[in-house]
Amino acid sequence: MDRIVIEGLGKRYGRQWALRGVNARFAPGEVVMVIGPNGSGKTTLIKCLLGLVHATEGGIVVSGKPVGKDPSYRAGIGYMPQLAEFPRELTVEQLLRMMNDIRDARSGSSDDRLINLLGVDALLDKRISALSGGMRQKVSAVLAFRYRPEILVLDEPTAGLDPVSAGKLLDAVMRARREGATVIITSHIMEEVQRLGDRVVYMEDGRLRFTLPPELIAEATGEKSLSAALPKYIAQLPPQHVEGL
Amino acid sequence: MSMATMPRLWTMALALGLLADASAKTWRHAAPSGLNALIARAQPGDTIRIAGTVAEGTITLNKRLVVLGEANAVVDGGGRGDVIIVSADSVTVKGLTVRGARHGNLEDMAGIKVSDCRGARLIGNTLDRCFFAIYLNNAHGALLEGNHVNGDEADPDRMANGIHLWKCDGITIRGNRVHHHRDGIYLEFVTDSRIEGNHTWKNQRYGLHFMFSHRDAYERNRFEDNGAGVAVMFSKEITMLRNEFRKNLGGSAYGLLLKEINDARIERNIFADNTVGILVDGCNRAQVQDNEFRGNGWAVKLFANSTATVFERNLFAGNTFDMTTNGDLVLSELRGNYWDRYNGYDLDRDGRGDVPHRPLSIFALVAERMPFAMVLSRSLMVNLLDQSERIVPTLTPAALEDKQPLMKPPHGSDRH
Amino acid sequence: MWKVCKYTLIDLARNRFALGYALLLLVITVGLFMLEPDNTKALITLTQVVLALTPLLALVFTIIWYFNQYEFTVLLAVQPLPRAAITRAQYIAVSTALVLSFLLGVGLPLMAWAPGPVAFTLLLTGSALTLVFCALGLWIAVRQRDRARAVGIGLATWVTMMLLYDTLLLWIMFTFSDRPIEPLIIPLAALNPIDLSRILIMLRIDLAALLGYTGAVYQQFFGSGGGMLASAAALLLWALVPAALATRAFARKDL
Repeated sequence: MDRIVIEGLGKRYGRQWALRGVNARFAPGEVVMVIGPNGSGKTTLIKCLLGLVHATEGGIVVSGKPVGKDPSYRAGIGYMPQLAEFPRELTVEQLLRMMNDIRDARSGSSDDRLINLLGVDALLDKRISALSGGMRQKVSAVLAFRYRPEILVLDEPTAGLDPVSAGKLLDAVMRARREGATVIITSHIMEEVQRLGDRVVYMEDGRLRFTLPPELIAEATGEKSLSAALPKYIAQLPPQHVEGL
Repeated sequence: MSMATMPRLWTMALALGLLADASAKTWRHAAPSGLNALIARAQPGDTIRIAGTVAEGTITLNKRLVVLGEANAVVDGGGRGDVIIVSADSVTVKGLTVRGARHGNLEDMAGIKVSDCRGARLIGNTLDRCFFAIYLNNAHGALLEGNHVNGDEADPDRMANGIHLWKCDGITIRGNRVHHHRDGIYLEFVTDSRIEGNHTWKNQRYGLHFMFSHRDAYERNRFEDNGAGVAVMFSKEITMLRNEFRKNLGGSAYGLLLKEINDARIERNIFADNTVGILVDGCNRAQVQDNEFRGNGWAVKLFANSTATVFERNLFAGNTFDMTTNGDLVLSELRGNYWDRYNGYDLDRDGRGDVPHRPLSIFALVAERMPFAMVLSRSLMVNLLDQSERIVPTLTPAALEDKQPLMKPPHGSDRH
Repeated sequence: MWKVCKYTLIDLARNRFALGYALLLLVITVGLFMLEPDNTKALITLTQVVLALTPLLALVFTIIWYFNQYEFTVLLAVQPLPRAAITRAQYIAVSTALVLSFLLGVGLPLMAWAPGPVAFTLLLTGSALTLVFCALGLWIAVRQRDRARAVGIGLATWVTMMLLYDTLLLWIMFTFSDRPIEPLIIPLAALNPIDLSRILIMLRIDLAALLGYTGAVYQQFFGSGGGMLASAAALLLWALVPAALATRAFARKDL
């Protein structure tokens, strides 16, 4: 059974459609890489899934629950934004406790492996305001993974991280996948997309152009690396349908 | 001989009289009736002690007697007329509770009426809901001390004046408490008298009221919550010192109303929380010095028909309006007062502001015309309006200004 | 909601601007009473400062805080929480922090120097104004995407309520002074929360003058139990309605 079902999803800002006619299904244990140029609708798609943006038409069903007014479906979502900001005067420990309280998580039910892996345990007494950008990303990663989410949404997760931490984070992604999570990642780094992705979702002008496993894209173009294959593959696509846009 | 020392001389005379009178007797009366008969038998100089309640109508003291009330001594007039009439010189009435004067507007019936005599002493009596309480008519050198004059709290409208003086001189009124009457203390054609340390409150009209009275002084009295405050009218050379005028509130209520009076001295008084602190109407040469005006609606209403009124070293703080006037030409003077609204500076550090203060507010004029404009009182807009008017007077008389306003309140809090 | 509120308050308790606000008020109040030789004058000046400053700072602080907090608010919106709970928690936290700052900065010295009915009314209305303008600030902030624009709208709101509204009132009074507009003026003034607060304080400071007017409309209107209740209800509405509007706007907003 699909964990995420997106049907006829569209979002209009004023007269401009940011997203239109998106259909997709994502399964448990699958890593989905969402790529596309700036303004292609990646962010809007993810925000619709997170419930941050209200769809103009169509909808999303997550584990059988429609994305809408009832916030309970979000209990199964872990989200790591591109740039994490937290209340500056809280300590890291207080922040973790706050999230625990919001999630009504009992001690023991949360996954604290990343805290040690990323070295966040050394930061527990520090105020957020004393953390560097990279440290905040690590805290953000900890929060995203902590409640064993069925769905992980990571927005450019490695952007602010050092290579070692980035590696650890991607290991955690793979582990989550093994444990059955649906992982949705936006990334500009094609090596990452190629290495992690079970499927690539390509967005352009508010449309979902294709979803394919990265190796199929490579195969179709005869290139080894996705970064080389992707432009070729896109170039041979039929021109975009423009009705309604 | 100063008239102010008269009461003391009368006291001495009385004492000498008693000493000389070797045959003076003390009587004790403890029956509801028969007091007038006893008075008829007594000789001048005798003392009558009264116990219990006497209820035989009007008692007339027509010879030099001392009447002393024991505890619970009551003289009840039964509503038939005056209760006690004093018509001889040097009578003392002390420690009685007097009630039952007849009410009615045709005759002035009183609890104790003193007529056409000298040296009466009324001390420590309680006058309970009498029409007039103490009434002096053509009396000289009398002393009224420590009496408690209470009117009718339930129906003060039917009461006449508490202490009422008509054509008297050399009177001392000291330490009495008067409340719930029409006027607390009323003086008409009264000269060379002193009113000090009294407390009047909740009287229907004025706490103290002068008419056509001259060379009198009142000092250290408290006037609180009376219908219209204190009025001094058509009088000359009245000295008003260290009194407190408080909470006289209402449409025509004043702390002090001065009407057509000359050469008044008004010094070191406190005017607090009155609708109008002082209203000066048609007065000449009033000296208003070292007073404190706090929290009044209008601290001073100075009518333009007054001349040579001098305001000096007074304190104005927390009043809604410090000063208003009704004409363009103001012949009065402001010298070195403290104004809490003053926001000038004192570069030469002599304690006096270097730029003059104009206490008239344009908003006061607006509120005069449209009382409902008061909703804007103390708003930023009204402050800006008033500030600009102070800098460039357009609608208020520019002449009324304090050229050297004080930077700090004068003489602190050691007023009394 | 209370969980969010609690941690937001912990954060605000260490917020340097909230502390700075308390300190600023403390300095102003203590300074006024120390420098001003007359307590009555100090109290009246303080009244005017409070009436101007609390709305302004509540507006600006709430707006800036909202935008500083925005990314985290988005993160909260991804948690299994209703949107309304987030806005309510934030409103309660910010307004509580500002009211506490106000009571600390103004209340403490006031209790020391000039306790009494005026001080009491001042603290009450100052707190009410903080609640009102926090709600307005939140509403403005939620509806704007741009911080500078939101602050601009906040300032415009303040100038309108502080000055323009009264100017308009005075203009109405002068223009229609020959008509029976008196019954209209007081309710009209009471519509503006700053004016209403000022009138409530003025009823104590300027009572003597107000009683000088026949009819004593003001006393009837505000002095009675019903009037006091109506005033309190009006101020409460001024806080609750914008807070509810902010909650609704945030719930409908695309973050």
